[in-house]
Amino acid sequence: MKNNQSNHPPKLLLQFFRWYCNPDFAEDLEGDLYERFERRRASKRPGLAKWYFAKDVLSLFRPGIIRSLCPKSFLNPTVMLRHHLLLTYRQYRRSPNTFLINIIGLASGLACAIFIFLWIQDEYQIDRFHAKDQRLYQVMQNYPIAGGFETTEYQPGPLAQALREEFPEVENAISVCPPLGSAGNKGVISTAENQAKASELYVDPEFFEFFSFPLEVGDPEWVLKNKDAVVISKKLANQLFPSPEEAIGQTIEWFREDVTIPFTVTGVFDDIPAQSTLQFDLLLSYPSLAEHSQHLRTWANSDPYTYTLLKPGVEIEALNDKISTYLQEKVSASVEDPNYIFTGTAFVQPFSDRYLFNRYENGRPAGGRIGYVKLFATIAFFLLLIACINFMNLSTAKAIHRAKEIGVKKVIGAQRSSLISQYLTEALLITLLAAIVAVILVYTLLPQFNGITGKEIAFRPTPTILIGLIAIIAFTGLLAGSYPALYLSKFQPAKIFKGKLTRGLREYWMRKGLVVFQFTISLVLIIAVMLVYQQIEFIQNKNLGYNNERILTLKQDGNLRNQFPAFKNSLEALPEIEAVTTFRHDLTGDFGSTSGVQWEGQGEGQRIEFGNLEVDYGLMELMEIQLVEGRTFTPDFATEQNKIIFNEAAVKAMGLKEPIGQKIMLWGEPREIIGVAKDFHFESLYEKVKPCMIRFSPNNENILVKLKPGSPKATIRAIEETYHAFNEGLAFEYRFLDDDYQRLYASEERISLLSRYFAALAIIISCLGLFGLAAFTAERRAKEISIRKILGASAASIVQLLSKDFTLTVLLALLIGIPISYLLSQYWLQSFAYHIEIQPWYFLGAGLLLLLIAWSTVGIQTLKAAKTNLIQALKDE
Amino acid sequence: MAFSFIKTTFKINIARMSKHRLGEFEELVLLTVAVLYGEAYGIAIIDEMERRLDRTVSIGSLQTVLRRLEKKGYLASELGEVTKVRGGKRKRFFTVTNLGRKALEITKDQRLDLWNSIPNIAFGD
Repeated sequence: MKNNQSNHPPKLLLQFFRWYCNPDFAEDLEGDLYERFERRRASKRPGLAKWYFAKDVLSLFRPGIIRSLCPKSFLNPTVMLRHHLLLTYRQYRRSPNTFLINIIGLASGLACAIFIFLWIQDEYQIDRFHAKDQRLYQVMQNYPIAGGFETTEYQPGPLAQALREEFPEVENAISVCPPLGSAGNKGVISTAENQAKASELYVDPEFFEFFSFPLEVGDPEWVLKNKDAVVISKKLANQLFPSPEEAIGQTIEWFREDVTIPFTVTGVFDDIPAQSTLQFDLLLSYPSLAEHSQHLRTWANSDPYTYTLLKPGVEIEALNDKISTYLQEKVSASVEDPNYIFTGTAFVQPFSDRYLFNRYENGRPAGGRIGYVKLFATIAFFLLLIACINFMNLSTAKAIHRAKEIGVKKVIGAQRSSLISQYLTEALLITLLAAIVAVILVYTLLPQFNGITGKEIAFRPTPTILIGLIAIIAFTGLLAGSYPALYLSKFQPAKIFKGKLTRGLREYWMRKGLVVFQFTISLVLIIAVMLVYQQIEFIQNKNLGYNNERILTLKQDGNLRNQFPAFKNSLEALPEIEAVTTFRHDLTGDFGSTSGVQWEGQGEGQRIEFGNLEVDYGLMELMEIQLVEGRTFTPDFATEQNKIIFNEAAVKAMGLKEPIGQKIMLWGEPREIIGVAKDFHFESLYEKVKPCMIRFSPNNENILVKLKPGSPKATIRAIEETYHAFNEGLAFEYRFLDDDYQRLYASEERISLLSRYFAALAIIISCLGLFGLAAFTAERRAKEISIRKILGASAASIVQLLSKDFTLTVLLALLIGIPISYLLSQYWLQSFAYHIEIQPWYFLGAGLLLLLIAWSTVGIQTLKAAKTNLIQALKDE
Repeated sequence: MAFSFIKTTFKINIARMSKHRLGEFEELVLLTVAVLYGEAYGIAIIDEMERRLDRTVSIGSLQTVLRRLEKKGYLASELGEVTKVRGGKRKRFFTVTNLGRKALEITKDQRLDLWNSIPNIAFGD
C-alpha cells in the first residue's frame, strides 16, 4: 500500500495544479508532469521524484498557464436573471407547501433578527452621543472590602481639581454630584405662582463642555459660571414659566432637606434624551455646594462623580497607576489615624462603556449588560440558522425533482457557476420575499416589543438600520442558498439521465445532522425558558426575612419634612392604615455602608464592611423583621441614638458570644447592642446576606405606610388627600415596596419573557422544517407504502415505519442538547447567591415535550401517507 | 521594375515580422519543434533541447513559450491518442506553421546578413 502510494504524484500538489491551471492546457500538462514523475521514479534516486514534481508544479504556476481570473461569460445577465426568476416561480407554483414553509420560517427568523438588531443597536447608542465621547472618561474607585474590592463611582470631592491641575495627561476634569444622601429623592422647585418636583445635579461650570446636552436658551460656557445659577430643563421651564425665553433671569426657590435657597435661571436645556444615563431636571453649581459642605472638601469622603477629558493618545494603564498612587497618598494622609493606610485604587473607564460594562470584579470591569447583548445576538444568529436550515433541507430533498432540469442545462453547456448563481438567486429571492413579510411583522409588533424591553425604539430607515437590514438579508440569503447551490450544481448529467442519481450517505447525514442541530437548539431554548421561569418564581416566593406586602412608600418632600409628625398622625387616624414609619433606605439594594466599627475581640487589622440601615421607631415591626434576641427601637427609651442592632451575619462575623448589652465603637462613639435581627435580604438575591447594622434615625426620607388587607384604592385616595392637605399642588407619587422588589429582577423578567417567545419560535420553525421533510419522505415512499399495504401492513405499522427515522433524529438531538443546556444552566444559576437546584425533570420534561411536538408534526403526514389510495400511487409507472 | 516590386514586399514583410520578432528562447523552441517533426510534445522538446544545447530547460518556461507561440500562430497543436501511461492523459503535439516557418527564416536571414557583412579584419582572419 505504501509502495503504491509513493508511485503516484502527491495528491495535494496535483489538486493545486488542477486548481490553478487553465482548463484548456490541463490535460496534456498533467500528462507531462506525470511522465516526468514516472521517469524520475525509475531513475537512480527515486526519492527525489516528489521534490522535482513539486518544482515542476511551482514552475508552471506563472502567467500564461494560470487560468484567467474572470471567466468569459457570454450570457446576458438580465436575460439570465429573468430566466432564474421564471424557474423559481414555476418551481414554487408546483409545490406551494414548500413555498409557504420557507416563507413562514424565514420571515419569522428574520423578524426576530431584525428585532434583536434594533435592540442591540439601541443599547450601543446609549451615552454615545456626546461630541467628545472618545476622550470622555469617568474615574472609578476600588474600595477594599473583605475578600476583594467594591467598585464605586463616588470619588473624593477634591479629586477633579487635582486631576485638572496636577495631571498633564488630563485636559480637564469636573465633579458632578447627585443630591447627597438621598438618591432618587426629588426636591421642589417653586416660583411665586407654580411649583414642581424635580431632581437636580450639582455640576462644575464646564459641564456642557463635557456633555453634549444642547441648550435651548443660554451660552453653554457661561450659564453655570455664577454660584447662584440654575439651568432648567425645557419641560420644567414650560411648567413654571410662560416660555423658556421668559424663564431667563427669573428667580426660583429650590427646596430640599429643610433648606430653601433662591437661584437665578440662566439657561434652559433641551429635555434629556432617553439614550442618556445621566438624567436630571435642573443643574446647580457644584462649587457653591462644596462651599457649604465640609465633606466635599476632604479626601476622606467620596460623594461626587468625577469625569475627565483625556488628551489624545494617553496611556490608560499608566494613568490608572498614577491616579491610584495619588489617591492612596491623599486619602491616607487625610484620615487622622496615623496608622491608617488606604489601599483602594482608581481607574478610568470610558464614560459610554459604563452602560454596557457595568459589573466589576476585583476592581476591573467584567461584563454586565454586554452579556445580554451577546446572548441575544447569539439567539438571533441561531434562529436565522434554524430558518436557513429549513430552506437548505427542503431544497436538497426536492433536488430529485429538479435533477433533469439540471442535467439538460449542463448538457446544453451551462457552467457550474451559472447554476450556482441560479440557486443563489432563488434563495435570495425567497429571502427577500420573507424579509418583506418580516418588516411588516416588525412594524406591527414594535409597540409590544418596546413594552417587553422597556425601550422606545423606532423603526425608521436610518442609514445604520438600512445597512443592518441589508446585511441580515444578504447573510440569510447566501447562507440558505449556499448549500443547495453547491449541492445541486454538482450533479453529473450522465448519471442523471441514466437514472443513477443515488443519494449519497454523506448527503443523508448532512440533512440528518442539520435537523439534529435545529432540535438541539430548540431543546436548549426550552430548557432555558423553564429554568429562568423557575428561578424567577423562586426569587419571588423566597422568604426574604421580611414582609414587603401591602407597604406603600412615598417620599418625605415639600412641607412633609417639617410637619412630619402631624402628617403621620393624620395618616394613622385613617382606619385602613396599620402603621406608619420612616426609613432611610428601601431594602432593594440602596443602603449605606461603613467599616468604622470597632468591637471587643477585634483582630489586628480586621475590618468588616457593615451595611448601614437607618430606621425609625416601628420599622422593624412594620416590615416584620424577626429578632433572634433583644428588642427593637421604641420611644419608651430616651437614648436610642446610642443603641444599635446587628443582624446574625454581623454577629457571626465579629465573633461576639453574648452580644446583647455589649458595647461597640461606631465612628469613635460607644453604642450598646440591644438586639440581634434574623438575617434578611437587604440586597438582591445575587448577593449573599452581608453583615449589617441597624441604627435609629427619626424622620427619614422614605415614608412607609402599611395598609390593612383589602382593596387599597380607597386607602390610596385617602392618603393622597392627606398628602395634598400638606403639599398643595405637588404631584402625589407613591410606590409599592413589593413592586420595587420585583423591579430588581426586571431584566430577568424581560429575559424570561423574551426567551419564551424565542423558544416558541425556534420550535415552530424547526417543526415547519420537519413537517416539510416528513411530507416529502411520505411522497417519495408512496409506492413502497402502497406495496406494504397490499401485502397486509396495518396503518399503525406504517406510521411507525415512517416515524422511526424522525424519532431517532430527535433523540439524537436530546442526547447532544441535554449536556449543553446543563452546563449553560449551571453557569447562569451561579450568578445568583440563592438559586434553585437543577432537577433532572427539567431535562426529561423538555425532551419529552420536544419529542411530542415532533411526533405530532410528523404524525399528521405519516397518517396521511398510511391512508393513501393504493391505486393512485401505483397506477402509473 | 520587377526587382523593385519584390524588394518592397520584402520590406513590408520585415516590417510586419519585426512586430513579432522572435526571442532567442522562442527561436530555439521553434527550431526544436521543427527538428522533432511529428514527435514534438512537452517532454520530448525538453529532452531534445537539453541534449542538443547542453542547457536545463524548466517545464514552466518551456510551456509558457509554447502557448505563447501557439497564440501568435507560429505553432499549431493537436492532442494525441489516449495511452495507459502518463496517468491516462493525452499528449499535445506541436507543429510549426507556415507563419512560424517564415518567422524562422527571417531570423535566419537577418543573422546570415549580419555574418556576411562582418569585415574580414574584424575577427582578425
